[in-house]
Order: sequence, then C-alpha cells, then structure tokens
Amino acid sequence: MPNAISISNLSKTYEGGFTALHGIDLDIRDGEILALLGPNGAGKTTLISLVCGILNPTTGTVNVQGHDIIKDFRAARQLIGLVPQELHVETFETVWATVNYSRGLFGKKPDPALCERILKDLSLWDKKDNKIMQLSGGMKRRVMIAKALAHEPRILFLDEPTAGVDVELRKDMWQLVRRLRENGVTIILTTHYIEEAEEIADRVGVINKGRLILVEEKKELMRKLGKKQLTLELVEGLPELPEALSHYDLDVQDGGRRLVYSYDTQAARTGIGSLLADLNRAGIAVKDLDTEQSSLEDIFVSLVEEAR
Amino acid sequence: MNFEAIKAIYLFEMARMRRTLLQSVISPVLSTSLYFVVFGSAIGGRIQEVEGVQYGAFIVPGLIMLTLLQNSISNASFGIYFPKFVGTIYEVLSAPISFVEIVIGYVGAAATKSLILGVIILATAFLFVPIEIRHPFWMVFFLVATSITFSLFGFIIGIWADGFEKLQLIPLLVVTPLVFLGGSFYSIHMLPPFWRDVTLFNPVLYLISGFRWSFYETADVSVGVSIAMIFFFLAICLGLVWWIFRTGYRLKA
Repeated sequence: MPNAISISNLSKTYEGGFTALHGIDLDIRDGEILALLGPNGAGKTTLISLVCGILNPTTGTVNVQGHDIIKDFRAARQLIGLVPQELHVETFETVWATVNYSRGLFGKKPDPALCERILKDLSLWDKKDNKIMQLSGGMKRRVMIAKALAHEPRILFLDEPTAGVDVELRKDMWQLVRRLRENGVTIILTTHYIEEAEEIADRVGVINKGRLILVEEKKELMRKLGKKQLTLELVEGLPELPEALSHYDLDVQDGGRRLVYSYDTQAARTGIGSLLADLNRAGIAVKDLDTEQSSLEDIFVSLVEEAR
Repeated sequence: MNFEAIKAIYLFEMARMRRTLLQSVISPVLSTSLYFVVFGSAIGGRIQEVEGVQYGAFIVPGLIMLTLLQNSISNASFGIYFPKFVGTIYEVLSAPISFVEIVIGYVGAAATKSLILGVIILATAFLFVPIEIRHPFWMVFFLVATSITFSLFGFIIGIWADGFEKLQLIPLLVVTPLVFLGGSFYSIHMLPPFWRDVTLFNPVLYLISGFRWSFYETADVSVGVSIAMIFFFLAICLGLVWWIFRTGYRLKA
C-alpha cells in the first residue's frame, strides 16, 4: 500500500536554539490509525504542526501522498484536516458560518448538504445558529472537528482529541474515527490516554524528547514487549516458599495465599509447566489461576524510562 | 489561485463588519459630523474661504482621508491580529492558500470597508456643505488607492503587533497627528515658511492635497507628486508584506 505521509529526517530547532524534533523518519500508511504517544513536551504537536504547514521545518522533507508539503503545498494541504489541541474558535461566529468558512478556506465550493451531515454526525445540528461562545467546551471541541472535516480530508490529525472531554463525547469521537477509517481516511492522533491508543490504533509511535523511539504494530508491540503474569490462588496459605520453588521468579502475596509468576511470552520455555508440576509435587493445592498481559501503558512507561 | 479561499476570507471579514455595523459605520459618521460642526460651523464662521473654496467644503477631503486612513489601518490590523490572538490563525496557515491570497482576502475586505465609509462620509458631507467634484476619476482613484495602501499598512501592523496596545500605538501616535498636521483643516500656504517646509515631510499631506485637488483643483503640492507618492507608499507596503511572506515574520516559526 502507498504511504499517506512520508516523513524523512524532519527536525525543528526554534529560534531560541531549542530543538523540539531530531531527525524524524516516519511512514504513515494509507488508511491506518496511528497513535503517537509521548509525555508533555515530547514534540508531538511540533511534528503535527510541521506536517500541516503551521511551522517551517529546519531540515527534512514531508510528502503527503507524493506531494511535497512545501513545493506542492496546495495539493498536500488539501488532503489534510487538523484538529489542534487547544480550543481555537471564532468566538463571535455561528457554528454554521465557521464550518462553511473552513470549507471555503480549503478551496472547496460550498456544499450545505455535506456541512449539514457533518454537523448532524457530531450532534451539532441543533446548535448550528448558535454563536460559538455560547457553547460548552465539549461542543467547541466538536465544532473544531466539524471544521477539520468540512473539506473532506483524506488524512486527519487529531491532536489530543480527548483531553478534557467527557465520556460521552469521547465515545462519539471514537465512533467517528472508526467511521472515517471505514471510508479510507488515514488518522493520526496523539493522546495521553494510553488505553485509547490500545483500543483504537493500528500502529503506535512513541515520541520522547523530540525523538521517535519506535513505531510498531500495536499487537506486535504488545506481544514483543509485553510481559505476562500468572497468578495462582492457593487453597491454603504458605508460611514460606518451599525450597523446591525458590528458583522461580515468584512473588508471594496476600499472606502466602497468592503466588504471582512473571514470564516472558517470547521465551522458548515459559516455565509454566514445570512450575505447576513442582507445585503439585510439593503438595500445594491451587484453587484458581489467572494470566494477565501488561498493558500498553506499562510498555510505554518502561520505554520512556529507558530513554531517560 | 485559490479563489474560493480568498472569497471565504473576504466574506468572513465582511460579515464581521455587518455584525459590528454600529461601531463600523455609525461612529466614524458621527465623529465626522462632529468635525463639521466644530471646524466647519464654528471656525468656518471666521475663516469663510480658503483658496476660493468655502471652508466647510474645503475640509471635506481632509475629513474623508482622516477616516479612510484610521479605518483602513484599524480594520486591517484587527482583522489579522484577532485570529493570531485567539489562535484561529492555525487554520489559515494550514489551508492550501498562499500568503498572497491571505493578503488579498484580508486587505481586500478592510479596503472595501474603508471605501464604503468614505462614500458614506462624502454623502453625509453633501448634507452640510456644497461640494463639487471636478475630477471624479481621480477622486475615486485616490479613494481606492489610499484604502488599499493603508489597509496593507494596517495588515503589517496587525502582523507586527503582539498585544492590543501595539495595535493602537501607530494609529493613535503616528497617523492621527500626521493627518491633523497634513493640511486636513488648512492649506499649508497659511503656515509660516518654516512650518510649511516641515510639513512637506509629512507623507499624509500628499494624499490630502491630491484628494482635495480632485474636488476643487486646489492643491498644496502638484497632483503629479501626490499620485507618485501614493504609488511610493504602496510600493513600501508591498515590499514589507513581501518580506513578511519571505520570512514568516511573527506568523510562522
């Protein structure tokens, strides 16, 4: 599949000398949902701003479906929609005026039917004649999404779309993202909420201190870096760990009533079989067992800490 | 050219004027009427005529210029400063439009507003004093050229300003004094020779003089010089805008 966006050696050094991005190389595939994770100030927004033309890159190139963002900026930008992190809205305008304005700004002829559909999709239709300043924060966020969709972009950037957003809007938003993806729209989102990336993304990129630490299929990443834990509930509490089990990486919890065994899913031998056999041999009866895989959040934290 | 985008910006800005109709139209008309009352009636009662023109009529071109300059600058500077201030500029920067198109949209709208005001004030003036326009073509030329030039200037101020104070600084501290001292309310021939020479350094003098010539054929400096000067200002503003475009000054880091 061709790439929606190809970024090569992209870096940004601000006037004061601060380098926000160091030589980023990233290919974003057509039609995928890519989640960019990273702590505050990691360079996520800078990366998005460079691709969207809000900042000038210091080095490097960006191609959007084969169009260079500087030499061929009209074709490149036409394809992109951006929902920035901050709530930047035309306070005194009506919802309807501002969404139609956005469409015109991107060079598209007016299409009231389309704008109507977008507003209805975002539950904004009954607010269309309201001034934006009369809307709640969540509604303003919806307006910004409507503006970004008004010119029918093929690539959508969502910069922290769910920051400060209530549960209902968040649900609506993910529904919308899925629907857009079904229509072939490529989506790049940044988020602090790792469970969101875990739920929705196809691939995950981790940015820290202006560097892209990794980009990986979400499933692959979780398989590769994920640790699994086997929790065994015992019938009777162990006063202490028997000698026969001392060479296992076991954590004794709940006054000896629970054993937690950590193992690497990638290892040739996980050691579960022998552990169970040894337990049996030592006469320890198991009441229940449970396995748990580490979440993307654990992986993320360990990656960022490693880079420190 | 992305005409849809130019249209979008232009209409969006014009909608802002409709929304703020009261400030946009009523207040300049009111203040101009006050000038007529104060300068035209009170002082005009004593001066009567300047260079063969009734004093009340003599000051009309100057008053229109005053409004044109002030409004071109404030409309255009606010038009571009406000999106910068509230952050909505991100959308303009990320849209598939060139800087030239952005300038045409914003400056075009600001200049249109000024023109509308200029015409309204001219119409108001007809109510107060007898006015004749000997060179309608040149009158329209000065009206349009001044609106465009000073809207460009306002646009530059709007880009440069990083606070509301700066937005007001140049119009209040520079433009208003220059207009008052540029022969709006008198002919420079009424001044002592030294001040007459000093006034020749005031760029606004050339605008007012040329504009007044299109009405009454009386001028402080030759009309050719006035026309040359307005093109000179236009060139300076275009040069500055071009430089902003090249460097992304205060728009794009």
